Amino acid sequence: MAPLSTATRALARSAATNLKPTTTAVRAVSTTPTLRDSAAGSSYQSPFKGSSPGANVPDFSKYMSKGSSNRNQLISYFMVGTMGAISAAGAKSTITEFLKNMSASADVLAMAKVEVDLATIPEGKNVIIKWRGKPVFVRHRTQAEIDEANSINVSSLRDPQADEDRVQKPEWLVMLGVCTHLGCVPIGEAGDYGGWFCPCHGSHYDISGRIRKGPAPLNLEIPQYEFPEENTLVIG
Amino acid sequence: MATAPRPWLYNTFFKKNYMMLGVVFAGAFGFEMWYNSVMDKIWETNNRGRLWKDIRHKYVTANDDGDDDE
Repeated sequence: MAPLSTATRALARSAATNLKPTTTAVRAVSTTPTLRDSAAGSSYQSPFKGSSPGANVPDFSKYMSKGSSNRNQLISYFMVGTMGAISAAGAKSTITEFLKNMSASADVLAMAKVEVDLATIPEGKNVIIKWRGKPVFVRHRTQAEIDEANSINVSSLRDPQADEDRVQKPEWLVMLGVCTHLGCVPIGEAGDYGGWFCPCHGSHYDISGRIRKGPAPLNLEIPQYEFPEENTLVIG
Repeated sequence: MATAPRPWLYNTFFKKNYMMLGVVFAGAFGFEMWYNSVMDKIWETNNRGRLWKDIRHKYVTANDDGDDDE
């Protein structure tokens, strides 16, 4: 078994080595002369044998640029750059328009701020203003009320907060008129502490809007506000 | 390739890639401003007589001083 297989393998190997030179010789003979014939004018060599109409390279000189290569380069770079600039502008405006679409519209922005004329509010009076669909209490506090709000021991409160942290000007108390318990609107100048009283579940707020008694967990919320001038208040 | 001296336009704007990018982005910025203003002008010409600036004088008089709240 073994001698036979080695013999056949050797035979096949010798046949393969014998075959190789002959095939290359055949290829060389068949192709080289025809190529020489067709490649008369140009450097291009057609792989097809014989002369067929498709094997001829057309004359493109009519379409070649007459200008200098510098000019052509300049024009093509200019075209590329212009195209890039236009597409960059388009991409930028697409993105910005999409983002603008998500931002607040003009009617929402117009409702976002409320201006109050403080000169019309006498001392010791409450004013309720609608701001973003919620009531806002503005109270012009008397000096006695300010002193009362400051006299309380802060650490004894449920939601400890000093009065000066809740007001920008001590005579003006501005806060959201939404009970922190379940969102009712408290009644002004009522309750056990001279401040606000929520009729829904009986929360008592003092003159600084801090929770003193009842189920509410937190003090009345303070919105963002500022006094751009004397006697004007802008909420929002 | 290029045997003749290259024009100054090529040398200033396109020779370096970062220069070309800068020129392209600056061009995009300028182009966008120009394009927006032209398109706004076209839109306003198409809607002339219907815009607030055209009919403002009918509603806002001088003594109002533009201080109308409601």
